[in-house]
Amino acid sequence: MKKQLLPVIAFALASVALGTGIALSQSPAVAAETATPTQTDPMQFARGAKAWANNCSRCHNMRDPKELRDDQWRAAMMHMRVRAGLTAAETEDILKFLQGSN
Amino acid sequence: MKTTPRPNLSGALWLLILLSASPVFAQSHADRIDELEAKTLAMAEELAILRAELEKERQAPDSEDMRSIRSESVAARQAAQNAEIAASEWKNSDSVTHLAGYASADYVSPENGNAAFVANFNPMFHFQYKDRILWEAEIEVEIEENGDTSMGLEYSTIDLFLNNNMVLLAGKFLSPVGNFRQNIHPSWINKLPSAPPGFGHDGAAPLAEVGVQLRGGFKIGEQSRMTYAGFIGNGPKLEGEDGEIHGIDTDGFTGDPDDEKVFGGRVSLLPLPKLELAVSGAFGDAAVVENDGVDFEGDPTRDYKVFGVDASYQWNNLDLRGEFIRQDIANEATSIAPEGGVWETWYLQGAYKFADAKWEGVARYTDYTSPHPDKSQEQWALGVNYLLAPSAMLKFAYESNTGLAGESTDDDRWLVQIAYGY
Repeated sequence: MKKQLLPVIAFALASVALGTGIALSQSPAVAAETATPTQTDPMQFARGAKAWANNCSRCHNMRDPKELRDDQWRAAMMHMRVRAGLTAAETEDILKFLQGSN
Repeated sequence: MKTTPRPNLSGALWLLILLSASPVFAQSHADRIDELEAKTLAMAEELAILRAELEKERQAPDSEDMRSIRSESVAARQAAQNAEIAASEWKNSDSVTHLAGYASADYVSPENGNAAFVANFNPMFHFQYKDRILWEAEIEVEIEENGDTSMGLEYSTIDLFLNNNMVLLAGKFLSPVGNFRQNIHPSWINKLPSAPPGFGHDGAAPLAEVGVQLRGGFKIGEQSRMTYAGFIGNGPKLEGEDGEIHGIDTDGFTGDPDDEKVFGGRVSLLPLPKLELAVSGAFGDAAVVENDGVDFEGDPTRDYKVFGVDASYQWNNLDLRGEFIRQDIANEATSIAPEGGVWETWYLQGAYKFADAKWEGVARYTDYTSPHPDKSQEQWALGVNYLLAPSAMLKFAYESNTGLAGESTDDDRWLVQIAYGY
């Protein structure tokens, strides 16, 4: 039993440690982009439109931004970040595009 | 010598002294002082009156108009503040809930057998805390042939967003081996009413896993990117029947009878934004835990491995994708079902939207091979879809199936489905 527990704990700890390490070492641009999403970035809408067009249609038909409210898009995009392997920055860009287009 | 005569100043000084002492000058100065004193007194009285009036005004109650104006002003200011708070709080609250999912209604008409209507729906729940935690779950609700309603937990994970590139999932998740099961199978996404043979229960593709998973993605330069997923889970169970392995049950279990974990994952590369090439797999041990429909204990463990490759490409209205998956169970001489086996399937699918992207034609070829001939199936599926909305499709399809003669896998079928993702 103990030998089975070790790889699971090691996996979880390594994930958290790796995640924390990368979070601390990520570039200032990414850190700023993910940490302060409320800051105005004039290019974010354009980046979001491009990321939306490139990623969403890889699996399903493009959904109209008007289908959901701003708050619903927040949860939907977190779900899609997991599904599509998006980065936090790409997710934030697409979210801003959808919220600005609905 | 010429001398300048000096003016006589002493005379003028005396004259000034005399004038200042005269009664006329003294009288004028006194009058001026009296006049100033009078004015000062008058101003003091006037100031006292004004102060009294001001104090009276302060202590007096507001007039009706003034009170009305003041209360309207306060109410308007409060309403503006409330509106501002209300407008921002549902957008920016720490916690967000979202109900999503999909539903479908089908009509299936096999070559041999009775045509029937089918219905199911899959609600999905998203509960998010800030940008750090997401709990997501999907329940599958189906009506059985006998009228019973079956319900299953497709997945339920707590996702921790560690940083820009990593998410840690814990719970029951869809298997990241391959792409169809984890991303394409929802009815509003799948372009045909049915899953390719081998991607269902007891097939070649693993369905779900219970454990922990780390996944995410990276950008590579301006255009390219990669995604990854790695997991540890309890692994599958084997079902024995008549001394053979009937199938590999990969529904995802909270128990682990063989006491051996399964490790696996998937890595995909997107050299172009809409071209994805992926390889995936898993390895571990499995054991027979059910024999002839009865729970069975003590069967020895044996090697289990799965390997898959998948690819997809989109160009304008064209959508191409394909996938290969193979599951292997090793032989185990001391088992109640000694012989192992290989479950293998692959499919290629092409779809094209036309008529202002309202209509879509689909073709898919699948070849599924099972150790049991009655399960193996080769299939051509052709379909036409009408897009009612971006997330709603009306599908018409025909399947040409080739399987063991007399088995349902050999029956051609007509299928109609309406699917809606919400």
